[in-house]
Amino acid sequence: MKLTLYHLYPDLLGLYGDRGNVLTLKARCRWRDIDLRIHPVSLGENIDFTQADIVFMGGGSDREQNILVQDLSSRAQELKQAVEDGLVLLAICGGYQLLGKYYQTADGHKVPGLEIIDCYTVAGPKRMIGNVIAKVGNPTHGETDLNTLVGFENHSGKTYLGPELSPLAEIVRGYGNNGEDGSEGVRYKNVWGTYLHGPLLPKNPHLADNILRAALKRRGYNSDLPVLDDSLEIKAHKAIINRFS
Amino acid sequence: MGMRIRFWLALWSGKLISIALRILGKKGTTFPGLVANKVCPDFIKHLAASFQGEIVLITGTNGKTTTNNMLASILKTANKTVAFNREGANMLPGIAGTLLQNSSFWGRIKKSYLLLEVDEATVPRLCRQLTPGLAVITNFFPDQLDRFGELDTTIRLVQEALPSSTKLILNADDPLVAQIGLNQTQVFYYGAASLPVSGPKDLESREGRYCFLCDQELFYEIFHYGQLGIYHCEQCGFERPQPHIEAWDVQQKQNGISFRLAISPEHREGNSYGGQTIAQETGEFIIPLQGYYNLYNALAAVSAAECLGLSWEDSRQGLLKFVSDAGRMEQFALPSCQLTLTLVKNPMGFNQVVSTLIELDRPLHLLLAINDLAADGRDISWLWDVDFERFVSGEPKIKTVICSGLRAEDMALRLKYAGWSEDVISINKNLKEAVAELEAKQILPDEAVFVLSSYTALFPLREILNSKKVSSNPIISHTEVEGL
Repeated sequence: MKLTLYHLYPDLLGLYGDRGNVLTLKARCRWRDIDLRIHPVSLGENIDFTQADIVFMGGGSDREQNILVQDLSSRAQELKQAVEDGLVLLAICGGYQLLGKYYQTADGHKVPGLEIIDCYTVAGPKRMIGNVIAKVGNPTHGETDLNTLVGFENHSGKTYLGPELSPLAEIVRGYGNNGEDGSEGVRYKNVWGTYLHGPLLPKNPHLADNILRAALKRRGYNSDLPVLDDSLEIKAHKAIINRFS
Repeated sequence: MGMRIRFWLALWSGKLISIALRILGKKGTTFPGLVANKVCPDFIKHLAASFQGEIVLITGTNGKTTTNNMLASILKTANKTVAFNREGANMLPGIAGTLLQNSSFWGRIKKSYLLLEVDEATVPRLCRQLTPGLAVITNFFPDQLDRFGELDTTIRLVQEALPSSTKLILNADDPLVAQIGLNQTQVFYYGAASLPVSGPKDLESREGRYCFLCDQELFYEIFHYGQLGIYHCEQCGFERPQPHIEAWDVQQKQNGISFRLAISPEHREGNSYGGQTIAQETGEFIIPLQGYYNLYNALAAVSAAECLGLSWEDSRQGLLKFVSDAGRMEQFALPSCQLTLTLVKNPMGFNQVVSTLIELDRPLHLLLAINDLAADGRDISWLWDVDFERFVSGEPKIKTVICSGLRAEDMALRLKYAGWSEDVISINKNLKEAVAELEAKQILPDEAVFVLSSYTALFPLREILNSKKVSSNPIISHTEVEGL
């Protein structure tokens, strides 16, 4: 079995150890004899989203996001089409914000987004920083008994979802999308968007496997993943729950 | 008049608190400084205004403490009197406390040189109170982003705060630092022509490889490490400035690093060196420290010494005599083994330690202690930006890894995904027990033992290790501020 992951602009969007997510998907595939090819996409590179199984977008600083939004906007239509066709997309923090309709800066200026998802982001007065615990409503958690996501957030943008969309998780501790409605992230078709930045997947192996399952299923492969020994992953996950909830 | 009275009140209450603390057998510069600043918000300004000597400010992400102490060592070699702040005392209260300790009851600072390592975010507040003659900027790497927000913000903060009359000593090899010298008249650059690890491609950080001025990707002829190297921007023409002093012939030695310095003729001509022949080369320098980042710290210290008018010989001797600071490749002789303790606080620093361990090429026993308290940075995502994968390709062999501290599980998980064998990894969150576990391992003479620690675990670990040392040879750390 072969899958291809496009890692968008790792040079620009690698601020908070985001590559941990790519390393995790790669390792969890390797342990199951799935050949996951990582394709780092650079600025100006001609990419064909129909060739990708998984697209990963991390977070970056404002200046870096501005550089890439120009580059990506020319391909927004292709990316949108691929998402509608079931492309698996994991977008974190800045990458998540970019998927929406716009980002409204503090002075009211609206920076257009990629309009792939019905959400928008408004610059907030304070940074929302800290450890996060959120409950996931999705019933398929693989072989583990985890029903939470744990991570760290650091953002000042407040994201609001359109009425048709459901969040990825419900906040138990932390701020999430906007610090107001208790929602965290977004789920749409095969898109996962979240503010849990950096190495989200290592400590949330159930989420990592859900993403892999979606990608395998779309390719028509058997999506029953062999069970892995996740005792260290679960230990790290539960350490956060025990300490911060 | 009111302010004058407040100043004397602040000075005397601060001094009395220091004396009281000393009688109680407690050390501490920060608390008396905190009180003095509370009583008189312009305390530092008043005290610095009457100071006749030289003030050197040292800031940047990594290397502040080591650079500060190397410069102090050079100045002391030249028989100068020096006051400098201890690590951890690099925000306003700590700086006020350092000034207090070094001044008389009549508000006179008794030393000729005042060296201040300053937290990046504190630079603007400090520069409202005093004007340093020299300011050294070591480097800018991603560090504790949950505190500073973003690296760009930090750089701008520092850049805008430094007074135009201050002479800048800048790392030419770091484009984020070097750009600060553009359009400035008083700048002294230092750099390295090449390191043994330099090459056309780097293995590490991603941040900062874009031109700070025009956002174009920078072109590198040579990468040293991280974004450090010899670079230029093909779009706007920004390029690595020609350093006034440049290290070459850099070599890793058994117990340190040796290098030579090339001095830019421009620099020498611009200075009044009488009828002396222009020295193009200074002979060999040796620093008794591992890690090429310490070469940069030495270059920064030598640059400052040069700008203060000291001789190359003073610099050479000062560096040779330098004793490593607390937890900077610090050696401990334990009954079971000889071990090295070193601080790791951000991806770049940790990657440099990784490089040092790989170059050592000996089987390794490791204790990794990672905390996530405020001073460590609450966010430990950065562990995923450290290239632990580099060990997996082969040598050196990892024999033991004990993960400790509040984030022991995260550390262990990071190593698992870097491909390290789970068989050698254990978790023990208690620092004392983790050290005992390390001591219980069978350690052969050719094997190396390293304890790598984040900031808040470092001092507890030092205490544990000191209590286990074989010889009770009391070495007084020279990072302590002298006198009261």
